[in-house]
Amino acid sequence: MTPGRLSIRARLTLWHAGTLALIVLVFSAAMFALVRVWLYRDLDQRLERDLAAAAMAYEGGPEELTELETRSSFSLFEVVRGGRSLYRTLAWQRGGFAAALPAPGAGPRSWRAPDGRTYRVGRRDAPLYSVYVAIDEGLLRRTLETFAAILSIGVPFAAGLALAAGYLLAGRVLAPIGAMADKARRISAHSLAERLPEGNPRDEFGRLAAVLNDALSRVQDSFEQLRRFTADASHELRTPLTAMRSVGEVALQRRLGPEGYRDVIGSMLEEVEHLTRLAENLLALTRAESGAIALQRDRASLGALAEEVADSLRVLAEEKGQRLEVDASLPAFAEFDPSVLRQGLTNLLHNAIKYTPAGGSVRIAVLRLPGANVGIEIRDSGPGIPAAHRERIFERFYRADEARSRDAGGVGLGLAIARWAIEANGGRIELESELGAGSLFRIVLAEADARAAPRDPREARIAAPLDLRHSG
Amino acid sequence: MRILIVEDERKLALALREGFEAERFEVATAFSGEEGFALASRERFDLAILDLMLPGRGGIEVLSSLRTRGMQTPVLVLTAKDTVDDRVQALDLGADDYLVKPFAFAELLARTRALLRRGRPPPPAKMRCEDLELDVDTHSAARASKSLNLTAREFEIVEYLLRHAGSVVSREMLARDVWRVARRATPLDNVIDVTMARLRRKLDAPAGRRLLHTVRGVGFVLGGPPQ
Repeated sequence: MTPGRLSIRARLTLWHAGTLALIVLVFSAAMFALVRVWLYRDLDQRLERDLAAAAMAYEGGPEELTELETRSSFSLFEVVRGGRSLYRTLAWQRGGFAAALPAPGAGPRSWRAPDGRTYRVGRRDAPLYSVYVAIDEGLLRRTLETFAAILSIGVPFAAGLALAAGYLLAGRVLAPIGAMADKARRISAHSLAERLPEGNPRDEFGRLAAVLNDALSRVQDSFEQLRRFTADASHELRTPLTAMRSVGEVALQRRLGPEGYRDVIGSMLEEVEHLTRLAENLLALTRAESGAIALQRDRASLGALAEEVADSLRVLAEEKGQRLEVDASLPAFAEFDPSVLRQGLTNLLHNAIKYTPAGGSVRIAVLRLPGANVGIEIRDSGPGIPAAHRERIFERFYRADEARSRDAGGVGLGLAIARWAIEANGGRIELESELGAGSLFRIVLAEADARAAPRDPREARIAAPLDLRHSG
Repeated sequence: MRILIVEDERKLALALREGFEAERFEVATAFSGEEGFALASRERFDLAILDLMLPGRGGIEVLSSLRTRGMQTPVLVLTAKDTVDDRVQALDLGADDYLVKPFAFAELLARTRALLRRGRPPPPAKMRCEDLELDVDTHSAARASKSLNLTAREFEIVEYLLRHAGSVVSREMLARDVWRVARRATPLDNVIDVTMARLRRKLDAPAGRRLLHTVRGVGFVLGGPPQ
């Protein structure tokens, strides 16, 4: 298995144990070196003392040297004067230490005797004589060997311990992730309301869980929307289908004259038309939302658009005896696709005219908004939209007033299309409404620099009349 | 005039056949691409109406093989797919027009007539229907010899209705040809209805007799009640 395929827990454990083993190893090596230096320094001090004792004994006379050999703890020495050995112990002679002597003036050295034992050999050079002493290093060596043995067992043991502890620790640290994964796996389309345990919101896992929960909330919202959409769509489809069916069935049960049948068929065709419109709008919206419509955004005048849309819908307002006021004198430019935004504005204005009672007023105005924005406001004197509906009124098929909307002939997609049209152009839609005092829909777009030279002739055509109007 | 209808949906094919026969066309129907291709290569038609979604040999394939063989007959394509790409493909392969399902029969009839009229002299500048007169050159209209004060759009509608006098004009046709809106937005239907109601008041006021009729669920027609 390559490291990349190992679980996070295993990788964490390996890194942890490896690092710890390396640290213990380096530490042990340093320890060993230090102990070794200390032990040798200690031995050399002893050697120094023995050399001093031997020199003193030599200065005291030959008997003292003999006594030193028999009584003292050390029995390996030689005294040399003028190149002649004055005194040497039996063991010295037998051990062949003559070959072990360090160079004159040099410090003690270790020497391995032919019998395999190791000795520390030192010398002291007085003006008239030299003293040589050797000490068996066996004890020191054994101490060091034991120490090395302890370390060579201890380091792997520590590494193993680190491995085990690291594994347990990593398991404990990663447990929340496992728990989250288990929980997340159990959350399905039917239990979207469930959430991951967030634990401590300030630690990393808590934040991760919070982020995942946010994502889950959004998924739940879109599921909820989809569910509502499906329910609403089937309602919208069933209503005209039911009408067609009953009209047809009732007509077949009765005997009607040609005019009667014409009427029945005409009535059924009206429902067909309604269904067709529904399918068309739904398709357009679906296509738009899936991003299949490519927008051609250019700098264009909001005033021109407002006037154009108001002109096209004016007959509807006139028919209801409404006052349709247009204030498009402000030169306001934004980057938008005229055909798409026109549809959005048309739907908003149509909505305003539809829900404003006869004799009321609808006002459409171009305005400059804070934050380098421009906008179009559509204000009506209709009944207003209750706060409970304001959030959802832009959803597909959502209707504030179920009973009246069918009479008004819509399919419940106008505002959804309007919102898409505005947002696709990089803008946003705002709604202010007060019960009994009318509603205000506001399209907000980022202002495009009006002084910038138009980039293509189409824009020049829109911009020119406005410029003339304002200079004259 | 002989028309070939290639449509696998039998109910639709037979309804279209009946509709065209009622308009005094001679109609042959094929219910599959192979059948349609065989008929089109064997006999002569003035126009073919071709569904694109056919089992077996698809409409696109039939169309391109017919055109490769040098068949010049105008072809009107029916399709349920209305993306720009689909339309472009059909037109590129030699279709003369297309209509997206579901369509109004009135519109299919109008388009069929328009295709068959191709290459003929343009309609006269002066048109009349009963006591309604219209002069495109002087941009004037009169009913029962009384001049009518029409807006530019109303004039255009009357002209359009006169060109289709005697047959029904659907809202789709008005939206596309008079308002020039490619995709019919919901609000436009209301605008059309209101505009037509006003136009009717203007047209009928001088004569005191109805000339512009609404055919419920279908559209509008100029001239005596359609039977």
